[in-house]
Amino acid sequence: MGRFNGVGIQAEETHICVVMVGLPARGKSYIAQKAQRYLKWLSIPAATFNVGNYRRNNAPHPSADFFDTNNAEGERKRRAAAEAAVTDMMKWFKSGGVVGILDATNSTKERRKWVLERIRGEGVEVIFVESKCDDEELIMANIRDVKTTSPDYVGQDPEQAALDFRNRIRNYEKVYKSINADGDEDDLTYLKIMNVGKQVIINRIQDYLQSRIVYYLMNLHIRPRSVWLSRHGESMLNLEGRIGGDADLSHRGEEYAMKLPQLVLDSVGSDRPLTVWTSTLKRTIATARHLPKHYNQLQWKALDELDAGVCDGMTYQEIADLYPEDFQARDADKYNYRYRGGESYRDVVIRLEPIIMELERSEDILIISHQAVIRCIYAYFMQKTQEESPWVPVPLHTLMKLTPRAYGTEVQTYKANIKAVSTWRGKGSTAKHEDPLPEGGV
Amino acid sequence: MDTLLTAEIAVNAPRYRRRSSTFIDGIHDVPSEQGNMAPAQLYSTMSGRLFHSGRIAIVMVGLPARGKTHICVSMARYLSWLGVKTRIFHLGDYRRATVGEGGHVPQDYFYPNASPASVMLRQKILKKCREDIYAWLNHENGQVAIYDAVNPTASGRRALAREFAKHDVQTLFIESYVDDQDILKENARNVKISSPDFHGMDPDEAAQRYLKRIETKIPVFETMQEEELNYVKMINAGQAFFYNNVSFNYLSHRIVFYLTNLHIKFRTTFFVRAGTATEEDYKADAPLSEEGWAYARTMAESLIRHREQERQSLIEQGGPDLPLRPLSIWTSTRLRTIQTAEPLREMGYKVRQRSQMSQINPGVCEKLSERAIRNLYPEEVEKHELDPYHHRYPRAESYHDLAVRLEPIILELEREQNDLLIIAHESVLRVLYSYLMHCSTRDIPKLRFPRDEIIEIIPAAYQNEAKRVHIPGLDPKMIPGSPEDIRIPVPDTIASLSPIPGMSSPTDSAAPEIAITRPPEKIVNTAKEMVSDKVADED
Repeated sequence: MGRFNGVGIQAEETHICVVMVGLPARGKSYIAQKAQRYLKWLSIPAATFNVGNYRRNNAPHPSADFFDTNNAEGERKRRAAAEAAVTDMMKWFKSGGVVGILDATNSTKERRKWVLERIRGEGVEVIFVESKCDDEELIMANIRDVKTTSPDYVGQDPEQAALDFRNRIRNYEKVYKSINADGDEDDLTYLKIMNVGKQVIINRIQDYLQSRIVYYLMNLHIRPRSVWLSRHGESMLNLEGRIGGDADLSHRGEEYAMKLPQLVLDSVGSDRPLTVWTSTLKRTIATARHLPKHYNQLQWKALDELDAGVCDGMTYQEIADLYPEDFQARDADKYNYRYRGGESYRDVVIRLEPIIMELERSEDILIISHQAVIRCIYAYFMQKTQEESPWVPVPLHTLMKLTPRAYGTEVQTYKANIKAVSTWRGKGSTAKHEDPLPEGGV
Repeated sequence: MDTLLTAEIAVNAPRYRRRSSTFIDGIHDVPSEQGNMAPAQLYSTMSGRLFHSGRIAIVMVGLPARGKTHICVSMARYLSWLGVKTRIFHLGDYRRATVGEGGHVPQDYFYPNASPASVMLRQKILKKCREDIYAWLNHENGQVAIYDAVNPTASGRRALAREFAKHDVQTLFIESYVDDQDILKENARNVKISSPDFHGMDPDEAAQRYLKRIETKIPVFETMQEEELNYVKMINAGQAFFYNNVSFNYLSHRIVFYLTNLHIKFRTTFFVRAGTATEEDYKADAPLSEEGWAYARTMAESLIRHREQERQSLIEQGGPDLPLRPLSIWTSTRLRTIQTAEPLREMGYKVRQRSQMSQINPGVCEKLSERAIRNLYPEEVEKHELDPYHHRYPRAESYHDLAVRLEPIILELEREQNDLLIIAHESVLRVLYSYLMHCSTRDIPKLRFPRDEIIEIIPAAYQNEAKRVHIPGLDPKMIPGSPEDIRIPVPDTIASLSPIPGMSSPTDSAAPEIAITRPPEKIVNTAKEMVSDKVADED
């Protein structure tokens, strides 16, 4: 019988190995990391196997010569590292993995042929994903941003490191061959992204999950940007401790709406315009209404708060009194618990998928939404598990700035210093809103 | 053909503005009143357009016999299902309407150095079509206009993109490029099979001749290479894709994803119900009853007999003696659907289970009588009767929820290359059928799939055809809406057979005889005539 992840994609017995291809500093690790995060967010088991990490066990701080193809010793060590990464990945597939990502340059036909035969031999589908870029400026920006912080160059002079890294790339360039550049790799399944998505080639996609991965990767870009998240200002229902509803802002909520433009400006650091996304509920629209006129605003139904069904407009105490089993069931598995006639966190994640897609395509976006929705979006960027994400404290009157980086997402928070009620409730606690423990903070 | 005659009269009427292929293209037949959301639409807006995406003209590029029309129609069906207001403008319809029935365009119509008269005619036809496109986008809240024509030259395409940009419409070109001779021949064969021009000719030779004729008629065709335009090149029916992305937006990406899963090979889809189970409780997930097993066997036999008969009759009509296409079977993860597929699995057919295809969740309505539901949830019943498609009982799923859940299945359905048998609960069949046959949300909850019928959906260029194949020799008791139906979220229209009579709306229960005869079947059998007309269709 097939395996099901319950979120709309059937993984069945599928095992897919995504093999990255491309010269260093072309955003491969970034793409790999993103794809992994996206799949995990959708409950598809995914993992990245970075050949560089395996190689570092044998050669922690190699110089550029190491990567010269004429250096037999270097070549042998790099091949051994690839073999070790693949072996681990196969083990991982046996323990339930679905999409494994092999993060390495795989820049020659010979290496790709070896990888293909090695992996297909184990009954795993292979899809090559190449990032090809000849925009020198972009490459240098990448080198500075990523590689000077790479473990290979820890403790070295950044100038020196960048130079050495440029030389390392030259060594790869000597032998680099883009996929099917000679026309004899036409039978491979591959995705080739050129100059950050300006041109894309897709070849021989085999199944639905592959097409889904390809679709996601086509939406990615590697231009620097940030995403700002805020909940709406405190609402009249928040004051009464009631969930859901479509209420107006409280007095303090209005104050937050007034203060938000300055808060955003401080965080952005210039008057460069953001695009503002709100839900279709009154309290988010009201919160966004004082933002500068040159900010575009869009309302998304998909950003509406988790639908609490029959419990909409109730306090936690009322829910606990009226539906005691439900109250407990929700604590036991908050991610999957679906309110009577309403939604679960899982349902919210599914309806947010187009938002995530759109977010990946866009540049600077400010999202003004609701607690559960912000939690799900936050979980996507911060790789929170399904156990953690529904409990993440997202206080009112606080702006968050998320900046995706090659090795993770950076978070900065900006407090408006306007008092608001707490809408957070700890797991297994009484049916009251309380202040989250400091260490649980965002 | 009548529809064409009507089209001709209409297009020549002084104050008539053509709504493209409303007459023959089934994608347009859905009423578009306010508040009537599409099956899987995520939200609605006042203008009817999705607000995070502008207006788009999708311009098709490619020679005849490249599957353009099939791509257009499939794309329009999918976009409408997602709630994007989409309409196709087949230039061929305009040309036919302009030259009149039996008329032909001049020989040099597509030549780069055509005579002034031909150029005038071409421009007249183009103008009419473009005017309709602008009217649709500017005054009818259309979001996507699909322009189905050959568009063979780079300069023509550039001019088109410029013109659309002036109207604040983004242009996305979709080229179907085919150089695989087998695919070309297959397409030509499918299109030409009934044309009198090629009567009695060896199908291969007919296909060759036809392709040759295209070459002479349209001597210049430049494949897309315009760096400054947004385009998708679909190569050899989806084997490879090339994207030139200047500024793709959300919808362009969505379309691209859909195309990645689309293929233009011919295959049919069958729908059948699962057999009856020993216990009709949603949560119990009970095995098949004895009658259920008997049904499974009879259904399997009927299906296999039918497929064989279809093949024979095709050969008798002079078609090629090809082996049957392989058949895949999808069931849900519910036991009764899996067991219904068992006889076929034993015969060696491949069966796959899909979790998304499990039946609509009855929520609190499970095991409750109608009276109990009316007593417990009077407001919900009222809301439900107002909008049975979108309304969701406490803890239950609405049809809308189900459609959104089934979206990945829709894409996989497009991807499948084998013939496909889907064994599922009636609620799931309703939603999948509504996608393939383009039904309105108002009708979806009322569609009926009695057990004594196999529904066969046959793809055709303009509109899919549905056929009902009778399964003989079944116990009449198990044929209609069985007790496994969820009474409340799906008000039963067959009042007399329902164990809870009177659940359906008053009009239905007042006229049970009418309700028993199935709702209007959307069986369309016009594809052949349509195709015969396409022989001379070069744009």
